[in-house]
Amino acid sequence: MQRRDFFKKTMVIAGSAALGTSHTDATETQHPIDNRKISDIAFPQKRPLITYSDRPPLLETPREVFTSVLTPNDLFFVRWHMPMIPTSINPYKFHININGLVNNEIKISLDELKTEFEQVELTAVLQCGGNNRTAFRPTAGGIQWGVGAMGCAKWKGVRLKDVLHKAGLKNEAAWIGFNGEDKAVYNKTANFVRELNLKELNNDILLAYEMNGENLPYLNGYPLRLIIPGFYSDSWIKMISNITVTKEKQKLHFMDHAYRIPDNECECETPENLADKTKPIEEMNVNSLIGYPTTGTKIKNNTELIVRGVAFDGGSGIKKVEISTDGGAIWSEAKLDDGTQGKYAYRSFSYTFVPKQSGECTILSRATNEKGEMQPFAKEIQWNHGGYKYNGIDEVTVDVVA
Amino acid sequence: MISIVKKLIVVSVITGSTLFAGSNSGITIPYVDFPMKEGKGMYSTKGKCNMCHSFGYVINQGLQSKKFWREKVIKMIKVFKAPIRTDKDIETVTNYLFENYGNGKLQ
Repeated sequence: MQRRDFFKKTMVIAGSAALGTSHTDATETQHPIDNRKISDIAFPQKRPLITYSDRPPLLETPREVFTSVLTPNDLFFVRWHMPMIPTSINPYKFHININGLVNNEIKISLDELKTEFEQVELTAVLQCGGNNRTAFRPTAGGIQWGVGAMGCAKWKGVRLKDVLHKAGLKNEAAWIGFNGEDKAVYNKTANFVRELNLKELNNDILLAYEMNGENLPYLNGYPLRLIIPGFYSDSWIKMISNITVTKEKQKLHFMDHAYRIPDNECECETPENLADKTKPIEEMNVNSLIGYPTTGTKIKNNTELIVRGVAFDGGSGIKKVEISTDGGAIWSEAKLDDGTQGKYAYRSFSYTFVPKQSGECTILSRATNEKGEMQPFAKEIQWNHGGYKYNGIDEVTVDVVA
Repeated sequence: MISIVKKLIVVSVITGSTLFAGSNSGITIPYVDFPMKEGKGMYSTKGKCNMCHSFGYVINQGLQSKKFWREKVIKMIKVFKAPIRTDKDIETVTNYLFENYGNGKLQ
């Protein structure tokens, strides 16, 4: 099948999508928008994707990509905060600096990373905290993502812990600050800096230079990025070039105000009554997505249909994925892959069934993780002002033809 | 003859290393047009917002209340140091965004 045919049903332009989606008084969370048009313009090292902005680049992966464990690099979503991204980096001159409360302030080249440290490979999902934001009513602030601000790749690099160990942390070290090479246009704008509490440092946090066996694409952070498996991607700093260790937490907009949710049981609030106390979004909740079929696909009646998709969570692992074709009355377990890519990776699933009635048929997918957490229906998810952490039961509606 | 062979080796080494480095050749990020709706304050908004980021970054926030747009403008000034200096400029940009990308609600 030609790629064009594959995507030709997608009609909504990202630039104008907002016009048709949010002018409603509905207050229930809904299924996010997932039929936006693929751009005519391909960004470097990428195939054409759903394009929200060029400065900074904001690109979303279309739903039909999510049928396998690994998301191809050229289809992988892109999200930057700062618009000035280096467009040419010399890998032989690139260094990462480790400074602050360390015994030795050091610079490490890419070559040294690849030869002087233990090399580690790990497959992990990278997902924006605002993925699926279009589900929320009233419209939550932030980029109005559909379902594809996520992907899963096999990352190769070195442990952050080993790099910090080489510099040697001082006793009073408590926070690790990360900064990449992206800059704002205006020189008074602060950089996009994120911090990790030293208590959260673990063996799985990597500085990765490779993605699915290739150099990272520029737009995914070439030549080096931070990987924090299980966590939303807000701290997965791209083009990372500086690590500063401090005793006190710095005052940072992107830590203190952005990427935070209400610190209460339901992680919810209302526009009239915003939560006073907030917490970082951090660990990803359980989720699943149907990659095939997509809404509007014509399916022949009485013919075997194989539904395919992916499921994941913050690292406890996926226990089961269930499918319903009757609106959620009866659920049947889908077949999961062997899980060899590990607990932070997508589990791909497949479910075979034969439609017996022509007309519209809605297919639902619902994942449950090893902690017993199960995806809720969209309407059961309550609002938060940033539109973070949506994980409603997925649905696509196909057209069964005689 | 020897010099030709040498040249070929040099060429292949250069080509080979370029290929090996892959991403090292650099990239060019394309320009994407996000047309602005015609309206009062469009040029002022264009000058103040689009200097730092695309207009796509603005309109893909969804249709929003006047309060939301005003708070965004103020956030741009306070957090990101946008050079929008007068109350009149804040009003002009807020009104343009609300009138053209608003949800009809003041709050």
